[in-house]
This record gives sequence, structure tokens and C-alpha cells, in this order.
Amino acid sequence: MISTAQGQATKPTSKYRSQFRIYVDILHVIQRENNEAKPTRILYGANLSHDRLTKYLEELKSLGVIQENGFDDKTYSLTQKGIEFLNNFRKVEAFASAFGFKI
Amino acid sequence: MLAPLWFFGFDSLMEFIAFAIASAVAYQALKGYRLSKERTLLYLNLSFVLIGAGLVIDGLANLIVLLARFHRAFLPLSAFGYTINFVAQLLAYGLLVFAYIHQTRNVGAQVAMAAAVPAFFFVHNPVTELILIFLLVYIATQTAINYSMNKSTGALLVFGTFASLAVAHLFFLLFTLAAVFFPLAHIAQLFGFLLLLAMLVRVNHPT
Repeated sequence: MISTAQGQATKPTSKYRSQFRIYVDILHVIQRENNEAKPTRILYGANLSHDRLTKYLEELKSLGVIQENGFDDKTYSLTQKGIEFLNNFRKVEAFASAFGFKI
Repeated sequence: MLAPLWFFGFDSLMEFIAFAIASAVAYQALKGYRLSKERTLLYLNLSFVLIGAGLVIDGLANLIVLLARFHRAFLPLSAFGYTINFVAQLLAYGLLVFAYIHQTRNVGAQVAMAAAVPAFFFVHNPVTELILIFLLVYIATQTAINYSMNKSTGALLVFGTFASLAVAHLFFLLFTLAAVFFPLAHIAQLFGFLLLLAMLVRVNHPT
């Protein structure tokens, strides 16, 4: 399970994304890039500033859902835990969406 | 109006099946809440826990009456089961209405919940069934709007569920006029839960 630093996600609105939603967006971008995404691709894909991207990538690495590859030319890929998390998230999203709830 | 005697047993069986499906939906909603911490999923979980609890208590109460061969001493159990089921459904659908209002951030949420509270004093009569129908029609409308926007099969199945449950409660209301509506209400209720089961299977085993 991925939980936010406060243990609870803030309520997403049209203006702000919850920390959980940003995690999911980052993981989606990495998966979309054939599981090997450069930081700039993630930055644009997840619509984040450089500072926030660095912070979230570190958090996702410490949660064990992504891993860093290479030294000079860094890329990020999903771990098995990250792939399982995204699969579970898709099921939950489809379930919530069937009721008309957004997560 | 008394429920048809031949139907006793079948109603309990249908309620036990519906209880199993409601429990599966509650479990899926809890899993979603644990993953996302999205509060509407917690409301969904609590709603289906309540629905399931009401169904299983009503089913057990009617089964005990049947096993006791309708002994006079056990007959009040049937009314007890109905009352518990009714209150549980009232709370559950009230919570779902609150969840939809919470999602759309309408400030009238508290008003909608407050409107449901006086119903506790009017159990087991057509007025209370009308309140349940009102809540279910609201939920069915919300799910219909959801289906019209995303056009997914899952959304259609959820809309079908709440539409069937609204029809079931309309039949429970009409049961006060004719006994034939009692089995029809249970069939509509079970059909609604089977649609929910189909949605769960689709979500967990996407093609």
C-alpha cells in the first residue's frame, strides 16, 4: 500500500492533486515509457516542477515501487511492487468509476 | 398483508445470496479505501456492510420462523428482522446519498441526511418504503448520469443495480395491496445484487 507522508491523502480538487494521485501519475508515466523513463519525461508527463519531482521520486524509491538505473543518464523503472500497485490501482479505479466516484 | 407462506425459505435464500454479494462489494470498497484513502470509498464500504447486515439478519429471522413451523412465539422475529433490515438500508442509502453529495461538494448534504432521520419513527409502513424509494431513485439517477458520461459497462451494471433495488422497494410498497408483489420484490432485489456481482467480476477480471 502507498500512503502519504501524513498517512492520509488530501482531498483532490480540480486545482490540487493529492500526493497519492501524483504518485499514481508518476508511475503511469514510467509505465507508458516502456518502464524506463528519464526524469524530464516524468516531469512533463506528471506535470511537476523539478524540486517536487525530485522529492516524489525519492519517496517512491523509499517505498520500493520504483528503482533508479544508470549514473549519468538516469532513468527510472517500476519494481515488481510498483507494477502490482498499479494493477491494484486500476481495479480500484474501475470499481470506483462504476459507482461514479473519482479517486 | 401477509407474505405468501410458500415463499418462506426462498426469501431467506435470496437474502443470503444478496448478503454474500454485498459483503464482496464492501470488501472491494475497503481495499480501495486502504489503497487510496479516498473517503467516498469508505462510505461505500460502510453502506454495503449495513446492507449486508440487514439482509442477513432478516434472512436468518425468517429462516428461524420457518424452522419453528410458524409457531406463534417465533412470529415476532419476522417483524424484528424486517425492522433491522429496513433501518440498515435506510442508513446505507442515506450514506450513499451523502457520498454522492460529498463528491459533488453540494452544501445541501446535511439537509439530505437530516431528511432521512425522522424515518426511524415510521418503520414497517408504506411511508417508510417511499423514503427508501426516494433515496434509491436519487442514487439511481446519479449512477445514470455517471453512465451517460463514461459509457462503461461497469457504470451500466451499477445503474441497473440501483434501478432494480428501487423497483424492488416499489414492489415491497405494493405488497401492502397484494401478496404477489412480495416474491416479485425479492426477485427484483436479487437481480439487482446479481448485476453488482457481474460488475465486480468485470472489474477484477478485465477482458
